[in-house]
Order: sequence, then C-alpha cells, then structure tokens
Amino acid sequence: MRSVLFASILGLVGAALLHIIIVLVLPQFTGRDAYTRVLGLLEMDSFFSLTSTPGPTGLSNDDPYLRTAVCSFSITDGPARFLARGAVPFWSLAVFDSASNEVFSMNDHTAVNGRLDLVVATPIQLVELRKTPPEALAQSIMVEMKEEDGYAVLRAMAPLDSFEDQVRNFLAESSCEPFRR
Amino acid sequence: MFRIPLLVALALAIAFGGGIASAVWALKATVGFGSISIGPWVAFPEAQTENADPYAKAHRARAGELLYGGAEGLMFMAQVDDRGEKLSAACSYDVSGLTPQARFWTLYAANADGVPLRPGSDLPSAINSWTVLRAEDSSFTIHVSPNAKPDNWVALRHSGTFRLVLTLLDTPTAGSSGLIDLAMPKIVKTGCGDA
Repeated sequence: MRSVLFASILGLVGAALLHIIIVLVLPQFTGRDAYTRVLGLLEMDSFFSLTSTPGPTGLSNDDPYLRTAVCSFSITDGPARFLARGAVPFWSLAVFDSASNEVFSMNDHTAVNGRLDLVVATPIQLVELRKTPPEALAQSIMVEMKEEDGYAVLRAMAPLDSFEDQVRNFLAESSCEPFRR
Repeated sequence: MFRIPLLVALALAIAFGGGIASAVWALKATVGFGSISIGPWVAFPEAQTENADPYAKAHRARAGELLYGGAEGLMFMAQVDDRGEKLSAACSYDVSGLTPQARFWTLYAANADGVPLRPGSDLPSAINSWTVLRAEDSSFTIHVSPNAKPDNWVALRHSGTFRLVLTLLDTPTAGSSGLIDLAMPKIVKTGCGDA
C-alpha cells in the first residue's frame, strides 16, 4: 500500500514537472503561432491584405471595422522599410519578432505628418545608418530589433462602409521592402 | 512479480496523463496572468510583449492571433454579464455607459473561441464609436439582442454562449496600470426568449 502511495506521489511530481516543461517549450513547437501563419502566406517583403474569412493559414480580419495586412520580413541582409500614406480615419502598425514579441508599435498620431515611414534595423545596421544618414531616410523613424526575422501588422479602420475603398487602397499601396541605399 | 513494473507504470501514467491534461486545461482556461478586469471586462495589456508570462506566451503561440501592440489598442472581452452569469445568445443585453478614453472603439459579439459572429449582411453585427447613437451626456446604450431593437442594435444569431469584444484603439490606458479606476460600460440582462 505504501509503495502505491509512493508511486502516486512520484507520478504527481512528474506531472508537475511535465506541466512546466510543456508550457515553457510549447511556443517553439505549436506550428500555428502568428509568425508561422504569416510566413505561410508566402508573401515575403510585401503587405498581404487579409480577408474577413480565414485565409489559407487561418488569419483573418477579426474586427469588423479593421482591415489588416501582414508582412513577414528579415533584416539579415539589410534594414527593412515600411511605407504607407493615405487618408484613413485611423491606422496602426505593430512590428513583432519571430517569437511574436512586440518590438514596436505606432499609430497615425505618433507618425510624422500622419505617414508611415519606419525603418527596422539590427543594432549594427542602425549604427551605420546613423553614421551616414541617407537623404531618403530624413523623415523616417528608426527602430532597433535584436532578432533578424519578424512580421509586421498594419491595420486601417473603416468605421463606415463608404471608407472601404480608401482603406483597401491604403493597404494595397503600403510597402514593406528591404532598404537599399 | 509484476509489482515493480506496475508501480512504475502507475507513476508514469499519472505523470504523463496529469502533466499533459493540466497543461492543456491551463492554456484553454486562461490567457495567462497579468490581466486587468473592470466589472465583467477582462484585458491582457502585456500579452503581446516580451514580459508576458510563460502561460501567456504558450497561449498566444497556440492561438496564433495577431495581437494589438501597445500603441494600437487594447481588447477587452466579456464572457459574463454584470451579475456574473454567462452571456447567452438567447437573451438580450444592454451595454450602457461610457468607455475609457480612446480615439475609437469597436464592439462586436464573438463565439466562445473568439471568432466573430456573422449574423448576415442584412443585420448589424457590430457597432463603433462613429456609428453609435449617444445620449446628451455622450453616454450610450447598445442593445445586444436576437430580436430587432430601436436605436443601437447588435444582432445575435447564434446558439449557446457568446462573448462581447470591445476594442479601444489608440488609448492611453493600454500602457498604464491606472486602468482599474476607469469605468467600462455595464452589461445588464434585459430578458430572455422572445420577450
């Protein structure tokens, strides 16, 4: 009887350990986290507008009034630059790394002249950009990112149906490209 | 003769069964620690950050949603009404009051998994701060109901439980912990069935 009790207690200790291991390790293995889903759209270096019904990787416009576009990027070979302009009532951008941690987020009120012009670079690339600032980046916001891969989410608001075209154009004309001097 | 192998099997069964079951349960039951709740509304302002706890990180990796960044907005979810009863799609609710300061907000109903309900293109499925009709003191009352209602109506066409999702966009409250003092709209049940 005592050995059964001992085995059960040992089992519970093991269960607690396994619980902790599963919770800690799970983020690396789910295969359906946001970064994997964005990568699965196979649209590197351009914004991909989501639809209101779940797309091939299960991403969709969750909020009925927000239109979302996503872009996966890598800054291994050089900084990434995000551009968008247009008259929409509200837009916002968030940059996440490959573990889906927020790196940077902003909206149209925190942007220069209400335009999106953002450069994401590694610390070393950023030092070079600051040493000899290119003319084109005079108005850009510079953001440092330690990881090399990530994704960006651009949201624009269409509070009424009549904004639909404006918002679609805004997202279609936005760009997410590697920056070259 | 088989005692030792049996005991080993028992310990292993408890370890693997209990460990896996409890982990799955924990990730389904909650988005993680660090929530803020105002009445029935719950939000996780740090779920998308590096500082999120391991449960929040595991949950967001499993759910695979595009979360809101700090400068974008904050999403509140309510699964119960002000009296703590689960929201049922057979009942009517009044969402009334004021939201915390924000440039925009949107309100829609979602199913238990957080997928927005789509009652059909001819019915109002959601409402936002531009389209809502307000009283003189700028407060509002939104009727969330399976039956047609005057003024602000969010239609329900669903069975079972649902949740309400209120997203504040560009809100100073997303970055501060002073949110506890702020008021969120009340959710009051006004009746069930066709009444």
